[in-house]
Amino acid sequence: MAEIRTGKPDVAPDTPSHTKGVRQGNEKSAYANEVGHHEDGTADSRRSTGIRPKKRDPILPVMPNLPPG
Amino acid sequence: MTTTERAPAGSEPGQLVEMSWDPITRIIGNLGIYTKIDFANRRVAECHSTSSLFRGYSVFMKGKDPRDAGFITSRICGICGDNHTTCSVYAQNMAYGIKNPPLAEWILNLGEAAEYMFDHTIFQDNLVFVDFCEAMVKDTNPSVLRRARDTEAPNAAVHGFRTIAEIMEAFNPFEGAVYKEALQVSRTTREMFCLMEGRHVHPSTVYPGGVGTMPTPTVFTDYLSRLMDVIDFVKKAVAMNDDVFDFFYEALPGYEEVGRRRVMLGCWGAFQDPAVVDYRYETMNQWGKAMFVTPGVVVDGELLTTDLVDINLGIRILLGSSFYDDWVNEEPFVTHDPLGNPVDMRHPWNQTTLPVPQKRDFDDKYSWVMSPRWLRPGTDEHLALDTGGGPFARLYTTALANLVDTPYVKSTGSSVQISLPKGRDLPETTLEWRIPQWSNALERNRARSYFVAYAAAMALHFVEQALGLVRAGDTKVFEDFEVPDEAIGCGFHEAVRGVLSHHLVIRDGKIANYHPYPPTPWNGSPRDSFGTPGPYEDAVQDMPIFEENGPDDFRGVDIMRAVRSFDPCLPCGVHMYLGGGRTLQKLHSPMFGSTHG
Repeated sequence: MAEIRTGKPDVAPDTPSHTKGVRQGNEKSAYANEVGHHEDGTADSRRSTGIRPKKRDPILPVMPNLPPG
Repeated sequence: MTTTERAPAGSEPGQLVEMSWDPITRIIGNLGIYTKIDFANRRVAECHSTSSLFRGYSVFMKGKDPRDAGFITSRICGICGDNHTTCSVYAQNMAYGIKNPPLAEWILNLGEAAEYMFDHTIFQDNLVFVDFCEAMVKDTNPSVLRRARDTEAPNAAVHGFRTIAEIMEAFNPFEGAVYKEALQVSRTTREMFCLMEGRHVHPSTVYPGGVGTMPTPTVFTDYLSRLMDVIDFVKKAVAMNDDVFDFFYEALPGYEEVGRRRVMLGCWGAFQDPAVVDYRYETMNQWGKAMFVTPGVVVDGELLTTDLVDINLGIRILLGSSFYDDWVNEEPFVTHDPLGNPVDMRHPWNQTTLPVPQKRDFDDKYSWVMSPRWLRPGTDEHLALDTGGGPFARLYTTALANLVDTPYVKSTGSSVQISLPKGRDLPETTLEWRIPQWSNALERNRARSYFVAYAAAMALHFVEQALGLVRAGDTKVFEDFEVPDEAIGCGFHEAVRGVLSHHLVIRDGKIANYHPYPPTPWNGSPRDSFGTPGPYEDAVQDMPIFEENGPDDFRGVDIMRAVRSFDPCLPCGVHMYLGGGRTLQKLHSPMFGSTHG
């Protein structure tokens, strides 16, 4: 160890680098874990928003579901 | 800027005058053309093309994460980097065993179509036409300009210029109407590109397995409205090109010899068809033939193959005049392709780059460019294929192959028919590019404007297909994948100015070997180990000179037209040296800028 005086660390060494429950982009089967993306290639409004997503789906089943972003 | 160093007055008849243009082209100016000109007989006696810049992508790609390849190789070029990203994605898809979802494939095709439109327009109208503009022709061939003032333009009704000289005036840099309009158009086409691939020229939304573009209907309608904005410009450009180039044939009999070489063209195909492509090597022949620009090799007007497997296995990287050591004693990476065919040691999959910097010597080694050749099957002929600047080979192979059949573009076996819809001013128009008699400077340039129309027409088809999927609710644009420990892959695409291939070998999950082969190594290659000159050298060597100026105020415009017809990227700094028959001082260390003196 070099003789450099340091203060008390602000962060506890056991702070996790990843928060449980939050998906990582690099993990396997990322597509299946993306909310609002369906296996058949379609999507629903949950892709764009988490706020009352069902209310933002199309009003008729024949309509394509095109969430904005 | 062109700087001309005047020669000492009076060179003797029959004496060869050495002239060099270094750098020409390619963003950091790494291409030089060294010629010996026989002014008495008005011919170019000898030509060497040389590159003084070492890039080394194949060296520093080793050991990197293969997923980064598209982002790194994009930086090879500052104008067509996205072609590298796309080609890298094709190669990676093969290595990872995945394919893009259909909508992602259409988005990629739309981006690439916009890139062709953007790049060809800016190169043709803002760089090539400077060689054909009123100011240049007045300086080099005043008699031709006088004639142009009296020659009516046959397509005046389309483009609105009454005489050929009026078109040439519109080509004048910074002032001419076409020059200025082309800058606006290339802005619009760049916007189209950015809608699809996120950023120009290094895409931010193109990855193996798909794209990150959010496929909202607005993305496609924004693209379509911009496309319709420029569609009339495309029609006018083709008409103007036809008028000017036909006039040159007429005004300067024998001009077909400028930049002429044997028809030896290569095209590696562009625009994948998502219904067919699965990126497996085993089925590469089928999905290669389904591409919306057909891959192929044409020699003397005959289509030798359209099979991407044949094309792949025939590639040989020769040395001979290049600053590298041979790699034949290194260990091969790929001895057999996935179909069991043997892969040559001189194939890009097995290449190891061993640079050896040294003095430039035109009798020995004189370039950093290697000599890619294509081995004609069943023979020992290593063909020095050129790309005809890109569009020429693309239209040639597509026309001959007779495979492309879409609502807007049709191949007929001897021509390509391109239908463009009604625009703001001009009605619906069908253009037809017919296979010309020669492979020369004017035909390479003419093909470029037709290919802008081709890309525009194809883009209309792609937009319709993509919107069809979106309307059906299919908005999937990316696919999961895992990087295998061991894999190989190859990608074939068309960079704007011609053939582009990426060859990839993965070991231990990292890149073990990666070789991109863009068009300029093919076109600008030096003499190979068999002594065969590269296409620039071949096209310029023994070429007649039509310029009316003598050695004292020679501009070299015919040579420039010949070399620029191959679209050697950006002829941004052209310096000229007039040696008056003296031997150039051979103090060369292969370094950029050494001849600026």
